[in-house]
Amino acid sequence: MSFSLAHALTGLFWLGALLLLGGLARRASLWQQGRSASVSWLGLLAMPKRYFVDIHHVVAREPAVARAHVAAAGGGVAILLLSALNYGLMLYQGWLDVLLVLMAALMLLGARMMQARRLQAPPRLSQGRWQVLPARLRLFALGSLLAAGLLFAGPQLGMAGQLIAVVALLMLALGGAELALGIGLGWPMKHAVAGLLHLAFHPRAERFAAKSSDLKPLNLAAGELGVAKVEDFAWNRLLSFDACVQCGKCEAACPAYAAGQPLNPKKLIQDMVAAQSRGTDPAYAGNPHPGREAAVMVQPGEDIVGSVLAAETLWSCTTCRACVENCPMLIEHVDTVVNLRRHVTLSRGEVPGKGSEALANLRNTDTVGGYPLAVRYHWAIDLDLPLLQPGEQTEWLLLAGEGAFDMRYQRALRALVKVLKAAGVKVAVLGAAERDCGDVARRLGDEAGFQRLAQANIATLAQYRFARIVTPDPHVFHCLANEYPALGGQFEVWHHSKLLEHLLARRAIPLKADATPLPPLTFHDPCYLGRYNDGYHAPRNVLKGIGIKVVEMPRSGRDARCCGWGGGAAFTDIPGQRRIPDMRMDDIRETGTGRVAVACPNCTAMLEGVVGERADVIELAELVAERLA
Amino acid sequence: MKIAVLVAPAVHPVSGRPCAGEADLAALALAQRLSSQVDVWYAGAADDAALADYLARGADNIHSLSLSPGSDVLAALCSVLQGVDMVLCGARAGGGDGSGLLPYQLAEQLGRALLPDVLDLSKSDQQWQALQALPKGVRRTLAAKLPLVASVHARAASAVGWSYARLQQGKIQRKAATGAALPQVVLEPARRARALVAASKVSGHARMQGAIAGGEGKSAGIVVKQGDSVEKAQVVLDYLRQHQLVDF
Repeated sequence: MSFSLAHALTGLFWLGALLLLGGLARRASLWQQGRSASVSWLGLLAMPKRYFVDIHHVVAREPAVARAHVAAAGGGVAILLLSALNYGLMLYQGWLDVLLVLMAALMLLGARMMQARRLQAPPRLSQGRWQVLPARLRLFALGSLLAAGLLFAGPQLGMAGQLIAVVALLMLALGGAELALGIGLGWPMKHAVAGLLHLAFHPRAERFAAKSSDLKPLNLAAGELGVAKVEDFAWNRLLSFDACVQCGKCEAACPAYAAGQPLNPKKLIQDMVAAQSRGTDPAYAGNPHPGREAAVMVQPGEDIVGSVLAAETLWSCTTCRACVENCPMLIEHVDTVVNLRRHVTLSRGEVPGKGSEALANLRNTDTVGGYPLAVRYHWAIDLDLPLLQPGEQTEWLLLAGEGAFDMRYQRALRALVKVLKAAGVKVAVLGAAERDCGDVARRLGDEAGFQRLAQANIATLAQYRFARIVTPDPHVFHCLANEYPALGGQFEVWHHSKLLEHLLARRAIPLKADATPLPPLTFHDPCYLGRYNDGYHAPRNVLKGIGIKVVEMPRSGRDARCCGWGGGAAFTDIPGQRRIPDMRMDDIRETGTGRVAVACPNCTAMLEGVVGERADVIELAELVAERLA
Repeated sequence: MKIAVLVAPAVHPVSGRPCAGEADLAALALAQRLSSQVDVWYAGAADDAALADYLARGADNIHSLSLSPGSDVLAALCSVLQGVDMVLCGARAGGGDGSGLLPYQLAEQLGRALLPDVLDLSKSDQQWQALQALPKGVRRTLAAKLPLVASVHARAASAVGWSYARLQQGKIQRKAATGAALPQVVLEPARRARALVAASKVSGHARMQGAIAGGEGKSAGIVVKQGDSVEKAQVVLDYLRQHQLVDF
């Protein structure tokens, strides 16, 4: 009997392997719909590091789940490897069976932990096949345990032994089907195969080396106009969608979802999966885009936006990167949103709300609000701020950005200049030569508009001589520091929080000597400073440097909620149940400080735009200026 | 039905850059809604870049009649618009020195009816009905038979959004044309406006009292304090009917 059980296991193993390979071939044919992409095969070698380090950084934020996954996945992979050796290669070694029993026990434990979690599943988790996956994995683990145990026990099996052997084989077949068929039929275990390949051929492979949050330029001359159909995605982008485990961490972090706007980032990724698999995968069993049906109609060959995905879903995104930051499978949601937006904007010209007006203003006046360039520095008219002339030299070039047209933010800019002067920093401005950085244009999908503005700015800046650029606008900062290099503009750009931190550390800013303690306040992280550029410490150090205690909101730093402005969302203004800044103001109220420090003109405008009683919104530079001696 | 749309670059009020004029865009949108045979024409000295906005906002093809700067476009346009059923143009060019006379001159030269300041056009029987925009939101219906000229009001429904792909695909075909010299502008001294004289010199408060407080004066109004809301509304309605301010 043991002879036949071992051979049955060998048969089962090779059947499973063949089904897995066949399924992978089928799935790969779906990925092949996409455009070619330049990927390095060395990614396969880098995969273990990316798995054990980069993914672990994200998964370890939920330690219980991480432990369960280590046990289940670790045990499962070990079982498969040991089975390959012992039964696939027909070694039939007893000591391998012992290892097999141990690993099966480990996997059983992991699957048990996952099943326990599923009993009180948080609403962000998908149901359907995902809900029953732990039970299937238990079945597989138990089958392995029994089979290996029997084989180790010896060749002589009684009637009971034979019965157990049959049961074990059935369990292995049932549970193993989940592993073998997952990739081919789009079942949950698809994530294991697609996820590993996604790590190897990640569309943004540079993120494994250093922070990478810049949008990639389109080659407009080659006719690239964003993604209209599935075929316009790069193949590894399609692969990345298949890596999704539907854990819903993106959903839980998404400010638009919380506000009841029709965007659920998890569903967005699953919509892309439905589009590429043409609806052959099992039906989606998670939360829909708020206010929308969960089911999607997939018509092959149709544009994605308008069929699989509603345009409002796309325009609800604030590009705050909370989803990307939280994704354990390292999927880049924002890239996909912007790629789809690019098609809608560049090809169809259908930007909703005031978005099209903002883009028209950028085309006609080089400012988002349609202001004359000559008035950008009117707020500094009495501050004796030098206007940099071509050929002249300055240490710091101040780019005020669009906030310079906002009367409220002009107070913050004046405070910043006052502080810089008090610290003896040599700073100058461009005056009417400064154009918009192109951030709004790019996030709204107008890549052509962005590239025009970026190239014009790069050409302008090349005429001046300065050591570094400082700007209080994180969007300007991110564009210049991270997105202009791809277009040939290399500048050293500092956000003003970093410069203020630097000056305070050097004691260059003369502060009041009195030791009256200042009331504590809370700090709202701008997305484009925080998640985009890891600028979490500088603003906090500035507040510390002027003796203000920061009471952190529960959602701060990496988990900070967006103010609702980013990605042009303030312009497209897709209706939801609530407004995003109102929710953020609730977060601020909960701290009980009554004051919030901000470090971005757009956060300032959004939070000050909250109606009713609200906390005072104070810019970082204003707080420092108050403390000047 | 063959429609010709006349467009011209406008001057952006803030930056002074050339851009599309609102009224011309509305004319383009209206034409594309009415017919599939739409030709877009421009006559003048502007370069292609100044017309780019029209390509990006729905014109596939612009015929540009190149004239030397400062010449009259009327003759050049008339020569190409003879066989066209309907000529649509913006009521006036956006910004610049436009006099707003071109639609009238075109209608006169071509011998056609002109529907000025049109918001919308619809066909009824053999005629084309136009919804005309008058100041302060007043609307009026006009009708004319083909062939006709219509100038489109800037408030009419606007064209499709600005699209980079359409800008890349759109073409501007330059055609040589001869323009006449602009007619001599005759400047007249401004006529002094007559100062307005108030009909009565009593104070505003007194006039309001006269209007609402009752009393002997003919203009005295009625203050209705009794009765329910229906009765009060009836008094208002009677007043409006009496003064022919409503017609139902």
